[in-house]
Amino acid sequence: MAVAQHTQATGAWERQDLLNGCQAVAQGVRLADVDVIAAYPIRPYTEVMDALSKIIADGQLDAEYIIADSEHSQFEIVKHAASVGARSFAGSSGTGWMYGMEALVVTATDRLPPLFLVGNRALDDPGAFGVEHNDAMAVRDMGWLLCWATTAQEALEHVLIGYRVAEDHRVLMPMALAMDGAFLTHSQHMVQVPTTEAVKRFLPRFDLGKRVLHPDNPISIAPQVNEDWVMELRRQNWEAARRAKFVIAEVYQEFNKIFGERYSQPYYTEFMTDDAEVVLLGLGAVAMPARTAVRRMREQGQKVGYVGLRWFRPFPTTELRELLGRFKGVGIIDRDCAHGSPDSGSILFHDVRSCLYPLARRPVMSNFIGGLGGRDISIDDCIKMLDMTRHTADKGSEDVNVTWIGLRE
Amino acid sequence: MPTHLPVVEYEHIRKVKDTPFEEFYTSGHRTCQGCESALVMRDFAKAAGARTVVTGATGCMYVANTSYQTTPWIIPWMHTQLGAGGASAIGMAAGLRALMRKGRIQNEKINVINFSGDLGGGDMGLSGISGALQTDYDLLVILYDNESAANTDIQASGSTTYGAQTTFTPPGSKHRIMQRRWKKNIAGMLAVGHPTCRYVATASATFPALDFMNKVRKALNIGGPTFIHTFDPCPKGWDFHPRYSREIGELGIKCGIFPLYEVIDGHVVYTYDPRKRGRIPVRGYLEKQGRFAHFIDEDYNYVQGMVDKMWDEWEVPGVAPFRAELQT
Amino acid sequence: MIKRVEVNYRGIFQKNLGKYIGSDIVMIATSMGKVAFSNGRYSDSPERNGIPCKYFAFVSPDLAEEELEAECGAKLDIDEADVSVVLDEAMVKGVEPWGWHGVRSINEKVREKGCLLVVTRHATEELLQFIGKLPHAYRLATLDGDASLAGLWVFKDDLTRERVLGAIAAVDPGIISIEAVEAYLSRKDDGTRRAKAAREAYDATLRSITVVPTGQGIDWPHKIPVLPKWHEFEDMGVVVPAVKRSFEIGPRGQARNDMFKRGTTKTHRPIIRFDLCIKCTLCWLDCPDACFDPTDDGLYDVNYEVCVGCHKCADVCPVPECIVMVDELRATNDDSPWERYKKDPVEYTAWAEKMKGTERVHYPHVTGTGREIREGKSVPLKVAKT
Repeated sequence: MAVAQHTQATGAWERQDLLNGCQAVAQGVRLADVDVIAAYPIRPYTEVMDALSKIIADGQLDAEYIIADSEHSQFEIVKHAASVGARSFAGSSGTGWMYGMEALVVTATDRLPPLFLVGNRALDDPGAFGVEHNDAMAVRDMGWLLCWATTAQEALEHVLIGYRVAEDHRVLMPMALAMDGAFLTHSQHMVQVPTTEAVKRFLPRFDLGKRVLHPDNPISIAPQVNEDWVMELRRQNWEAARRAKFVIAEVYQEFNKIFGERYSQPYYTEFMTDDAEVVLLGLGAVAMPARTAVRRMREQGQKVGYVGLRWFRPFPTTELRELLGRFKGVGIIDRDCAHGSPDSGSILFHDVRSCLYPLARRPVMSNFIGGLGGRDISIDDCIKMLDMTRHTADKGSEDVNVTWIGLRE
Repeated sequence: MPTHLPVVEYEHIRKVKDTPFEEFYTSGHRTCQGCESALVMRDFAKAAGARTVVTGATGCMYVANTSYQTTPWIIPWMHTQLGAGGASAIGMAAGLRALMRKGRIQNEKINVINFSGDLGGGDMGLSGISGALQTDYDLLVILYDNESAANTDIQASGSTTYGAQTTFTPPGSKHRIMQRRWKKNIAGMLAVGHPTCRYVATASATFPALDFMNKVRKALNIGGPTFIHTFDPCPKGWDFHPRYSREIGELGIKCGIFPLYEVIDGHVVYTYDPRKRGRIPVRGYLEKQGRFAHFIDEDYNYVQGMVDKMWDEWEVPGVAPFRAELQT
Repeated sequence: MIKRVEVNYRGIFQKNLGKYIGSDIVMIATSMGKVAFSNGRYSDSPERNGIPCKYFAFVSPDLAEEELEAECGAKLDIDEADVSVVLDEAMVKGVEPWGWHGVRSINEKVREKGCLLVVTRHATEELLQFIGKLPHAYRLATLDGDASLAGLWVFKDDLTRERVLGAIAAVDPGIISIEAVEAYLSRKDDGTRRAKAAREAYDATLRSITVVPTGQGIDWPHKIPVLPKWHEFEDMGVVVPAVKRSFEIGPRGQARNDMFKRGTTKTHRPIIRFDLCIKCTLCWLDCPDACFDPTDDGLYDVNYEVCVGCHKCADVCPVPECIVMVDELRATNDDSPWERYKKDPVEYTAWAEKMKGTERVHYPHVTGTGREIREGKSVPLKVAKT
């Protein structure tokens, strides 16, 4: 069980500010001393750019701030800024993220490490501002680091962690920091802001080394290939994604050392799982109602728990296999859709189920699709999901149970 | 927050013999025999020199220029996506400016150049180039225009000459002319649309000699975001023997179908004015290319009429396709 | 049993011709009750003018189409050919379609007893002085003719297509028979003209076939690159070093890409009369391939290793007979002509005139509309005034 505790004693924390998720990320970007920022408006991520423009206007950050003509340009700008050695930041939401998808793909295949905020938003049509995870999920197979923050505090910290992991020469992958639209992006909380000195100790300067594009270092980046090279290059990227998992573990240790014991486990957060029989697993802000539901059911003596997954790419395969293998039933909450997929389950469900397949004794799995387009997932919804997960587990049914939660039916 | 860079004044190349010998885009690319676009690459690299970084948008000058692990580039070069020419230049320029201002790298003038083809620069990437021309970064976008998707076996683009045969516009038994769009006026559009951009030009790699290299140098000297549109006869897609790629370019300019001009600090200067020596008929240019082999008199006349109109009736020939009048 | 035909052609110039021949083989073999299909080597795409490319046709009398496709279709190049057709004789000097392929001998794929069929004006012995030796015997046949070059839109209908079909029937009737070729061509629009051309080519080719015994040919001078394993080159392999900057006046003084020289792209090469040169610089200035090297005497040496034979220098040169394009097969090495000239201007000029001969190949603007041989003239050595 691990709940982030602020450790003031380290002297690494400067002040406490009232910030929403976007503003917290903006503080992270300021502290990371980012060099180039490219902005284009779309709800709900935009507020990070609103905040950053003011931070720059007030002289708190020295960075180029470019208002791009589209998300595609926005992402290409930070990709190329990264190629000359500039720490770069961009972000988007929903269809904006998809509009720039081509640029997102090549940022990964060029092995460049800018950080992007994805303020999760439902994809059009019809247009909707609320959260859905399909946008960020679209980069999951493309050589990206993909991580969900649960609180504004975590979001700030993961800007720093994200750059440190992404820029590590064993990794060199772009980083998507996802955050539930509205719930996190626009909800204000008291956030601890670290000192610049502490951040400097944690996050070294971005140095691309001999891959930097500069007249003093003449290189060609991404010449056209035939079938004679593609597989070898893909394999290199595949290895980097595998290495990333171990680099992440190192980085969290380092983070804890400087900022206090903040994270007992880098990839996910367990809540009341020690003796649990059934657990829910989800991404992002659904942790709040889910943990509350768990607490309430525990009060009634039910052995339930919650696992908040943080890192979706790289996927913590062995750790989750070991953890979830202990339970009788596991319910996966998906804020996304995968129409026509196996069992019509959703994306997170498929990855977790695939991860558990090698186990001799697998938990019985349920999949819940809910909270789409910004609909809330309530405490009662979570209680219901835990009940259903237990019911299915008790039944030991081989049939996969995919249930829509919060749907008018 | 501009970083004030040391000024590098490139010299105007007066005589061909004054052209610098050293190459920065060298042998070993995989373009067609007689490729004019390859010459555009060679010339801009030569004109700009060693302190330059380049991005190349997807297009034949990406695919043909480089095979993996082999490159013709001596200066740093990076691929950018088809529609990302303008954005890639902004990204590099912004990154360099920030790093120089923050003292991370030496403060010096580094030329930032993107080249995009007619699909990348004139169609898909137009918005990005427009965005780039609104900034205050020192960057140069070169649109090399071979009037088709020359990498994909010659499909029509917004820049293809009226009536040309391409794989998207084959002459057929019912429709002789499938390419019914008039060539987009890209340089004019960008010049007219970006009042703070100080330099927009059109050029050809070989005619008049040195013209293009000097325009590149002028663009780099004047600073800020700049744009040059080059006219690149393509032996493959236009179907002429590679021997004639220089001649086809010269004919295209002399017949007036591709006007050569600079818009420099608010002034339009015709760097070759075909009116002075009398425009030659467009037919003499068109009939030397297999892509117009299906043309009949009617087609030649139509193209001639449109070209005449540009030179005789436009408010600013080649740039602005209208006349201004006072309401009476 | 599978019969494999590869058609080596010049990118774009012979793209349609190569594809037509491949398609014709499928149509004819099908008419004979066989199973056949054809495809191009995908890595050649997008093709460039002059780049050596391949088209394939596969024929079987007994396999199901699916099995034939499984054996032949999934590969990007073939392992062996029953017939390798060469549509431009200059390719006998080797073919290098892209970087990391290496310059390879044109007969590389010809199997034992298979046939290398070359459209050429040269005799077999002349061709063999360029072709690598094989560890087995094979046959070499010639079909008299020039490289039929055309463009993408205007095809040169000069009967090369039909004559090659007749020649294929001659060298391997197990692929297509001459009777089937004639029947197929007779069904075309204009009567017997095409079938007759095929039959004549058939007869002539039969007479031309010689057996090349094991080991005849040259020791292949070019190394075939071995591609590294994924962990044998650095991580983030998407980044590669640029060509290292260097320049000095003189032959090969300009830094160039060593890994892809692509000199095998040329059908013709420029021969330069340095004594006539007025040092206008245009050949050097207008070369898209940067293959001219400035020298300390104001002349421009040509690096034939990287010259692709586009004719542009010959076009822009203002001095008659100073730069003349000649058949690539007349040249036996890529040595610096300027160095030879400096060593002995008289000897060089005599050699250059011999290389030039008196025939000047001339292409019209639209490549497919013709080709003519014009009369050139021999210009005596111009002695510089001292």
